[in-house]
Amino acid sequence: MRRKDMLGLRDVSAEEIVEILDTAARFRSVSERRIKKVPTLRGRTVVTAFFEDSTRTRLSFDLAAKRLSADTLGFSASSSSTKKGETLMDTARNLDAMKPDAIIIRHAHAGAPHMLAQAFPWTVLNAGDGINEHPSQALLDMLTMRDHLGELAGRTVAIVGDVYHSRVARSNIYGLTRMGARVVVAGPGTMCRQDMAHLGVEVRHRVDDVLGDADVVMMLRIQRERLAPGMMASAREYSRFYGLDLDKLRRARPEVLVMHPGPINRGVELSPEVADGDRSVILEQVTNGVAVRMALLYLLLGGEPLPAGADDAAA
Amino acid sequence: MPLPDAGLVLRGGRVLCPASGTDQVLDLRIVDGRVVERGAHLEAGDARVIDCAGRAVLPGFVDLVADLADPGATWREDLRTGSQGAAAGGFTTVLASPATEPVIDSGAVAAGAVQATRGLPGARVLRAGAVSLGLKGQELAEMGTMLEEGCVALSDGGLAMGDAAVLRNALEYARPFGAPVLLRPALPSLETRGCMHEGKVSLEIGLRGIPAASEEVGLELILALVRLTGSRVHCSHLTTARSVALLRQAQDEGLPVTGSAPARSLLLTDAWVRDHGYDPAGRLLPPLRPEADRLALLAAVRDGVIGLCSDHQPWTRVDKELEYERATPGATGLETAFSAALTALDGDLPAVVSALSVAPAAVLGRLARLAEGDVADLVVVDPDATWTVGPPRWSRSDNEPLRGRSLRGRVHLTLVDGCPVVEG
Repeated sequence: MRRKDMLGLRDVSAEEIVEILDTAARFRSVSERRIKKVPTLRGRTVVTAFFEDSTRTRLSFDLAAKRLSADTLGFSASSSSTKKGETLMDTARNLDAMKPDAIIIRHAHAGAPHMLAQAFPWTVLNAGDGINEHPSQALLDMLTMRDHLGELAGRTVAIVGDVYHSRVARSNIYGLTRMGARVVVAGPGTMCRQDMAHLGVEVRHRVDDVLGDADVVMMLRIQRERLAPGMMASAREYSRFYGLDLDKLRRARPEVLVMHPGPINRGVELSPEVADGDRSVILEQVTNGVAVRMALLYLLLGGEPLPAGADDAAA
Repeated sequence: MPLPDAGLVLRGGRVLCPASGTDQVLDLRIVDGRVVERGAHLEAGDARVIDCAGRAVLPGFVDLVADLADPGATWREDLRTGSQGAAAGGFTTVLASPATEPVIDSGAVAAGAVQATRGLPGARVLRAGAVSLGLKGQELAEMGTMLEEGCVALSDGGLAMGDAAVLRNALEYARPFGAPVLLRPALPSLETRGCMHEGKVSLEIGLRGIPAASEEVGLELILALVRLTGSRVHCSHLTTARSVALLRQAQDEGLPVTGSAPARSLLLTDAWVRDHGYDPAGRLLPPLRPEADRLALLAAVRDGVIGLCSDHQPWTRVDKELEYERATPGATGLETAFSAALTALDGDLPAVVSALSVAPAAVLGRLARLAEGDVADLVVVDPDATWTVGPPRWSRSDNEPLRGRSLRGRVHLTLVDGCPVVEG
């Protein structure tokens, strides 16, 4: 892969997406072994810089780097110098002085990873910037869909919830449309405005409006921290029109996949019966997350060729 | 170098002065700060001769919307660097924003602020007093006293006034004093979380937007209040197609309203933010707008509906070397406005003179004219020279979204009160 950074899927080609997903599929076997480690990134230093809270994504990236034998270290906002008033650029200059190979950054402001990628020689992986993108999440979502559906082209993916404020949605929209899938979005008018159509998606509103022909229903988390006052009436009403329960799910295709980037607000966007039900692939998404992040680190950092064992174990 | 008693002769330039109906190659003789003679082949005698062949001689540019940060934030800009930067950009008069520290909102502060503008090395700096106390949009400032202390206009300093009743009172109160009121139309509550134009690009790159409706509703409110009160208002920072359509309509109706757009808005669109990877230099308020708005602004300038301003807002790395969403909005403009305008208007010098000299001067009740007897505030430009925008020549701040861009039109010489303040 000939790029230094992974900032978002907006400018990533279908060929690159296929390369990442194929590589991730091969890496999955590493996590199935007793010794879950390959030496491809031995001696390389990967920093996880999380300026915003995260459990899943941070652990997943950390594990991915460790399974590739990279040295990892990280910090999160609560323990970082940003609380002492240091700017992002100054923090980055200090990191740079310690000669890292890659930085995985999550930040509350869109464009923060782009700023670092522009200014420094090391690889930058965007682990979520503001309401902009979260490319590794969309890639793991696409890997999960591909596992079940085969080709993504021609499939219909419904994304439901606070689409406007969702970096997961934005990355999925870019990735899926590039792969030839049809994307339909739904949610309250405040979170799913008419102009979302500019992104190449169809805009609907109620969850009922998208269930009929969807191969995948991706439910988004209500992110109260990103909502300005007055964007939502009540959790009860939200759940009524935009949440998914067993009753509504009956109107979907029997083989529909239910996805969620987590963490789930149980009873708001997803009823527990659906979240834990047989159409849910939510935990597969998490497993695939490690593999996709291994693939990204491997491809961006140009690791040693994959050892034969990586494929053997998959067989 | 001191001027000889016999003054200056500007030799052989294309003198372009719409107010005196002049567009021809002429010599100008300037003595004691005034144009004293115009004609072909003037006798030089002991006067200093400046060759203007192939160049254009224009009435000096006048800026209504510049933040010179002095007093209070002189690490960003001060009166000297602001005055010199303005002159380097061909401006001979600049109206400084009252958004200083302290805010120019009382007679006492105004007196000191006006005093400080004497003897500057470049463009003449005039002062605007605040419309509201502390620019907070709640209580009225001492408009009358500030005008008596030497302020020449009243302004909200680019901070839109949100309360319609306060705005109405401010216009009623200002009217008998006769000074123009400068306002940036916007509805603050529609702007609060946005950091670029709300549209296709903001959606694409995940930045919260400021809808054009914010500016347009703000403008409709101002126009309705002008109709109600009869006050003279200049609407600065117009950036949308609908804004200029509204202004055009209001002018046709006979309302005493004028408007201006930032010169850079004739050249840059909201795609800049995407194409420059969230570079905070492009974070502006009002924001860069889409192509259709840019084209409407160009047409409005050509038709004389609006003038242009520098919208000079100097911010240093402390304010700008941040995540795009956290960076302070604003960009420098005094050194680039003329060339941006000439480039966007495809070399149409008469349109540039109307927009940068005649229209803004008229708002201040001044005359941008180069007839015999007029004050020699003028600029000599090379209209065909191109240059690439580099670091600022004078400004203390380096936040210029036109950086690296090749522009048409260079300032060769600026005279303020007949004295060369920029040469070469």
